[in-house]
Amino acid sequence: MTAYTPTHVGTVTKYVIVESFEITPADLAVRGYEIAEGAMIKETCFGLVINGKEEEVDRIIAELRKADPDHIFVKDRGFPPGDARRCRANLGGARPGYHGIEHEMTVIPYVSYGLEQIKKRDASAIPHPENPREQPVLAIEKLKKLMEAQES
Amino acid sequence: MVKVFIYPATSLILSDMVARFGHTPLSSAVAIRERIQTPGLESPPLQITPEEPKKGLKWAAVEVPAGVRGRMSLYGPMVEAAEAAIIINDADFSFGCMGCARTNELIKFLLREKKIPKLDLNYPKNEEEGVQFVSAIKTFLTDLGGAK
Amino acid sequence: MTPPVRIAQISCGPDYAGVQAEINAAAQEVNGEIFFPDIALKDIRRDFDSFGLDVKSPDLKLAIARAKALVDGRVDADAVFIATCFRCAEAAIVRNELRRYIHENSKLPVVSYSFTERTTSGTLLTRMEALTTIARRRALLARETQSGITLGLDSGSATTKAVVMKDNQIIGTGWEPTTEVLKSANSVIEHALAEAGITMKEIEAIGTTGYGRFLVGKELNADLIQEELTVNSKGAVYLADRQHGPATVIDIGGMDNKAIAVMDGIPGTFTMGGICAGASGRFLEMTAKRLGVDITELGPLAMKGMGVHVPMNSYCIVFGTQSLVNALAAGSSREDVAAAACHSVAEQVFEQQLQEVDIKEPVIMVGGTSLIEGLVHAMGELLQTKIVVPHHSQYIGSVGSALLASGFIKDE
Repeated sequence: MTAYTPTHVGTVTKYVIVESFEITPADLAVRGYEIAEGAMIKETCFGLVINGKEEEVDRIIAELRKADPDHIFVKDRGFPPGDARRCRANLGGARPGYHGIEHEMTVIPYVSYGLEQIKKRDASAIPHPENPREQPVLAIEKLKKLMEAQES
Repeated sequence: MVKVFIYPATSLILSDMVARFGHTPLSSAVAIRERIQTPGLESPPLQITPEEPKKGLKWAAVEVPAGVRGRMSLYGPMVEAAEAAIIINDADFSFGCMGCARTNELIKFLLREKKIPKLDLNYPKNEEEGVQFVSAIKTFLTDLGGAK
Repeated sequence: MTPPVRIAQISCGPDYAGVQAEINAAAQEVNGEIFFPDIALKDIRRDFDSFGLDVKSPDLKLAIARAKALVDGRVDADAVFIATCFRCAEAAIVRNELRRYIHENSKLPVVSYSFTERTTSGTLLTRMEALTTIARRRALLARETQSGITLGLDSGSATTKAVVMKDNQIIGTGWEPTTEVLKSANSVIEHALAEAGITMKEIEAIGTTGYGRFLVGKELNADLIQEELTVNSKGAVYLADRQHGPATVIDIGGMDNKAIAVMDGIPGTFTMGGICAGASGRFLEMTAKRLGVDITELGPLAMKGMGVHVPMNSYCIVFGTQSLVNALAAGSSREDVAAAACHSVAEQVFEQQLQEVDIKEPVIMVGGTSLIEGLVHAMGELLQTKIVVPHHSQYIGSVGSALLASGFIKDE
């Protein structure tokens, strides 16, 4: 086995993902380049990948989020931008994690809607979502109706 | 800031929500970053070497497959460090780091065993569920206190 | 340089077990290139649902969808490598079903493997070599007759064998236990040439196979240096005169066992096992020694015995031998002990290897152990079929090499 010497040590990489009618990944990239100050910014089909010192990356992201806060999402990435080990061109197919993001992108519009709405609504009026671990109890009324339907 | 384990650990949505509402998400990417920024022996793509499944023995016995133990070497320390957890229960299409059902069962069990605040959810399936989903997460994270 | 053979990897877990680099290295060594079939999330959902195997692990769902993409021709590949974690039941089911599905619905050669964190590229090399050979050398493997004068050498872990062939006939053979690889090789070649009445100068092409194939091949300047999976399949159907249609080849060797599903002389799926010596020819050798008979006498002895009379609860070569010793001490007959040893080896190969290939008749047993009548009988009982043991079956690797090497004769 050969020795491994890491690159980009001490930096962080984050995805900035855009799901918006107002702003495109390209718009966001232009804004990113303006304020990059040395951080590495790469445009992807979902949005941007930003690499640099953590404070730098966070500063840029905080700024970018302002463009459309409810439609811009951020996630850590293990690899620096363009790393050959994760590159689709080298692997032949997408890395498995890509499909996970693909899946969440189908849900994200609901999350964006949620982010918009919680600012407009009274928090105490929003019901808590069902706990998936608790079996829904059959209401007595419903049970009675079912029994009646069965008998008739 | 509270360290919040997110499940699935690869989730963009949860990672974003936790950071957005002022806490630190514990995710796969952070564990992988630690691996690929540490010098050692070359083992692409993830820099998980055959040593990692051995480290995983702390959480799973030797008869447990190597892939489970290798993954546990990433997640075990994170579960131990977690001060809270948000768990999406219907995350059936999270691949790669979350691609093994047996590992996922073990992670969830270890989280459930821990006496930390937990929030169990499903992915929202429409806009109204989206509102409830975001609201529940925000309330949970705010109640943890110490948000940045 | 010829373009690399594109091997589609369908897997769950290797990058987390720390062995993905080993898989890549083994493929590269035989000019293969591992890639991951590219599909979209909607394909995964649709193909996973339509395949109908309702597994829970998302990466296995992905594996199923990738297999379907290959079979449907949506992704091009030359060969398929299926790998999942050893000891994972869920993955083992998927691995077997996908192997069968691809084998039955496409022409792609498939090999499946269950890895641990200890799997190395060396372990995978022979399998990868066979995979790339089948993909790359279909024309060579289509050869059905030997022509000219060729030499085939099989440098195995236990024995070294040589065969000289001329105009589709075996005219000289040589056999001896492997000591020093080159010394043993030279000695058996000398014997085979003498028997054939041929000099080395008259040999028109040479093929080598077995563990020592690279070393001996280099020394002899061989035209063909080839792993034993493809060579033995070819040799088996050639000698058994079953070159067309399906066949199953079983080779219980000194160090590992091979089970190969063959179609028209070309391996489709195969397994190679070698973790436990209790399932190898070595165990039978030890049994023969313990019983004070020559290995050639073990088979006839076993045929006279009843294995069920001897308790054999261990698959380990050490504890298995211990069981035999205990049985003898407790008054079991040598015949029964010999039969029990044969049954034990056959049963292990049946349980560990033959489950990974689809057994289609004829079942052809080859290699030195195929001469042990008791072993062949035990295997036949387990598989409920009459096993074919062709003539010269102990020379299978040499015959396959000599046959394939004739494709390299210049005037051809």
